[in-house]
Amino acid sequence: MAALLEAIAIRKTYPGGTLANDGVDLSVQSGKVHAVVGENGAGKSTLMKILFGIEKPDAGELRLEGNAIAFANPREAIDAGIGMVFQHFSLVPSFTVYENVVLGSEPKSGIRFDREKAIAEVRALSERFRLNVDPLTPVEQLPVGQQQRVEILKALYRNARILILDEPTAVLAPQEVAELFVAVRSLVEQGRTVIFIAHKLPEVLEISDRITVMRGGRTVGEVETKSVTEQSLATMMVGREVSLRVERGQTAGALACEIKALKLVGDNGATIAEDLNLRVHSGEIVGLVGVEGNGQAELLEAVAGLRPVAEGAIYLDGADMLPLSVLERRGKGLSNIPEDRIAQGLATGSSVAENLVATRLDDARFVRRGLLDLKAIRENAVSLIERFSIRVGGPNSAVGTLSGGNMQKVVVARELSEEPKLLLVNQPTRGVDLGATQFIWKSITDARDAGAAVLLSSADLGELLALADRLVVFYRGRIVAAFVNSEALNAETLGTYMLGLETQEADTMRSALR
Amino acid sequence: MIELLMTVFSATFFVTVIRTATPLIFATLGGLISDLSGALNVALEGMMLIAALTAVIVSVYAPWYVAVLSGVLAGALLGALMAFFHLKMKADIILVGFAVNILAAGGTVFALSQATGGDKGTSINLTSKAVPAVDLPFLEAIPVVGPTLDRLLSGHSILSWLAALTVFAVWYFLYRTPHGLWLRGVGEYPAAPEAAGIPVNKVRAWSLVASGALAGIGGAQLAMFNYIGFTRDMTAGRGFIALGAVLLGARHPVGAMLAALLFGVFEALSIVMPNLFNWIPGELIQTIPFAVTILALILFSYRSQRARQLKTLSKI
Repeated sequence: MAALLEAIAIRKTYPGGTLANDGVDLSVQSGKVHAVVGENGAGKSTLMKILFGIEKPDAGELRLEGNAIAFANPREAIDAGIGMVFQHFSLVPSFTVYENVVLGSEPKSGIRFDREKAIAEVRALSERFRLNVDPLTPVEQLPVGQQQRVEILKALYRNARILILDEPTAVLAPQEVAELFVAVRSLVEQGRTVIFIAHKLPEVLEISDRITVMRGGRTVGEVETKSVTEQSLATMMVGREVSLRVERGQTAGALACEIKALKLVGDNGATIAEDLNLRVHSGEIVGLVGVEGNGQAELLEAVAGLRPVAEGAIYLDGADMLPLSVLERRGKGLSNIPEDRIAQGLATGSSVAENLVATRLDDARFVRRGLLDLKAIRENAVSLIERFSIRVGGPNSAVGTLSGGNMQKVVVARELSEEPKLLLVNQPTRGVDLGATQFIWKSITDARDAGAAVLLSSADLGELLALADRLVVFYRGRIVAAFVNSEALNAETLGTYMLGLETQEADTMRSALR
Repeated sequence: MIELLMTVFSATFFVTVIRTATPLIFATLGGLISDLSGALNVALEGMMLIAALTAVIVSVYAPWYVAVLSGVLAGALLGALMAFFHLKMKADIILVGFAVNILAAGGTVFALSQATGGDKGTSINLTSKAVPAVDLPFLEAIPVVGPTLDRLLSGHSILSWLAALTVFAVWYFLYRTPHGLWLRGVGEYPAAPEAAGIPVNKVRAWSLVASGALAGIGGAQLAMFNYIGFTRDMTAGRGFIALGAVLLGARHPVGAMLAALLFGVFEALSIVMPNLFNWIPGELIQTIPFAVTILALILFSYRSQRARQLKTLSKI
């Protein structure tokens, strides 16, 4: 059977000199789910941007139904029947579902926007493709999973025959993933073609018919899903045997941090989290599990001193932390690897060396009589770059010029360079490639083995299950379940609690909360 | 006090309110459109001022409607100028707006002295025309209520009737046409319309042009009906009051009109009060509209904060 969409020997070099695609081939059959897998930085996103007309290839050819095509912009790709759902949704928050779907191609009667027709069309589409969502709800009131359906509807409304989903499961809870897959299957049954970008292999194996594997800007192979296993696929992706297994903590030590009856309130007066009770011991990693927005991130901010506490108390080594400023808390042995390295973790315009001492400007080693000791700062940077194998031109390179993984390593290096007593970590490996992930995980477990108490939050359940010694589940601002990590614990179990489908018995929870 | 109440509840006072509110309604609608498109037009003040002078000078040589149109055109051109600097040259919209305001403050005085042969204060020696008032004598024939209706509805500027129509037209455009949907989408979250292939910058540019045109009619009404002729700085902060009225009117055309009418009431008060209370310094009375603007905005922001709190509470 001839391919519906083909990319042949695509090459793309970015102005910075990065060779993102070099000899990439892709051949997508009509009516199939075609997965494209690869590590971050393998060139998947670039290839998709080329297919969707956002980027133009330097060399190579695109063919749609055998005819050579070239898109100058996304509009032309849309007109040719290609739709794309990005990881970051582009929806107008206060608009209703149907307004968002038809925006830009509204049905009209005269000069009037024909709302009734728009609603009817959106409703028909959502029923036909089993993308269940109420057309009249404003999208800001919808959970992420349903917002994603709105994005898919947008593409379908514009008659997309080929739908590109860019890491669609990254933002979803396991149950929402299952619902997405129902919709994807229904799309394919009705003759649409889906290109599925992903790096979570079990999901890829479940949903796809064929898989193209990319590594380092090249296609390394195209396989039938039936003929591969997770391990063989991972080996193809990385080019060597990988094991992302980490050693569990041996012994949990003394109580380090205690959070008592904590209540957090947002700027608008709404309760974000309440009745949080949590004890973290030295030498253990406690994972905070939950769909984003259920209070985990806010808890970490409150402990770090970045968010006011409405009620309750936080103790570190028995001392009350609440009256202390951020810097004073750091002085007591707290370290923080924040969620957003660019907005919160780093000053991207400053050099690597400056960023590495930014939290220690009252340290006599780096500042003497109010003046920076540039020599000491530089030496500190050189040694940390070496120790954390940060790939950078030199200590004076601006942090903003680094890749995501290396930026994150700068944050990790700064926060772990002195042995912390309490380490807060949020999304440590988001947008970081597999190699750097391995390194960052190792750094976190090393800190734990050196006696740090670690609070870890991540959207990646795999990461939490791999690293944490204990896990607590957040739902609507409360801790609803707690587990001691074991082989038996899996993402599905956590998922039922994350979505509030099940509640744990008080005794079970208390024993795991220690 | 009784005298004040009698004045306030007279038909003449109502007519004064409509007169003072008309330029504000136009300016507020202009502010609303630009605000909703995400390019806040802080130059309403300067646009009104330039449009007022343009209309006055043109009216010396041409019929009143040509003069009004020239004011509209002047405002629209200034809007296009702002669009060029903000969207093409990537200048900050607030700075561009203030540049227009400063240009207007100085430029109108200069142009005025050129046109009048040296007078830098008023256009008193130019024979400028007025926008005609609409009389509705047939209303008097209606039994019982006829005379009152006539006194309430007669004698308004043609542009006041246009203002009422424009409120409806702007509402219809924003909430009933596809382009209105585009405009609101562009203002709230530009990435979404952009992804849908809507030319975001074009939408914003046209919003600024429309915003300028509306401010232009407001300026023409001010110098060709409220006052006949141009005086330096005659807009006296109305462009800024209009920006306040946009927020106070909850960013909705009807709300914007009500807010503009409210400010019109206080401006009318500041016109009638000096005759009744000659012991209060006139300057103090003239500050009423501005003091009310500030008070109203404080109250509004307090209330909307409360509303937001209640909304989030009820959601949980």
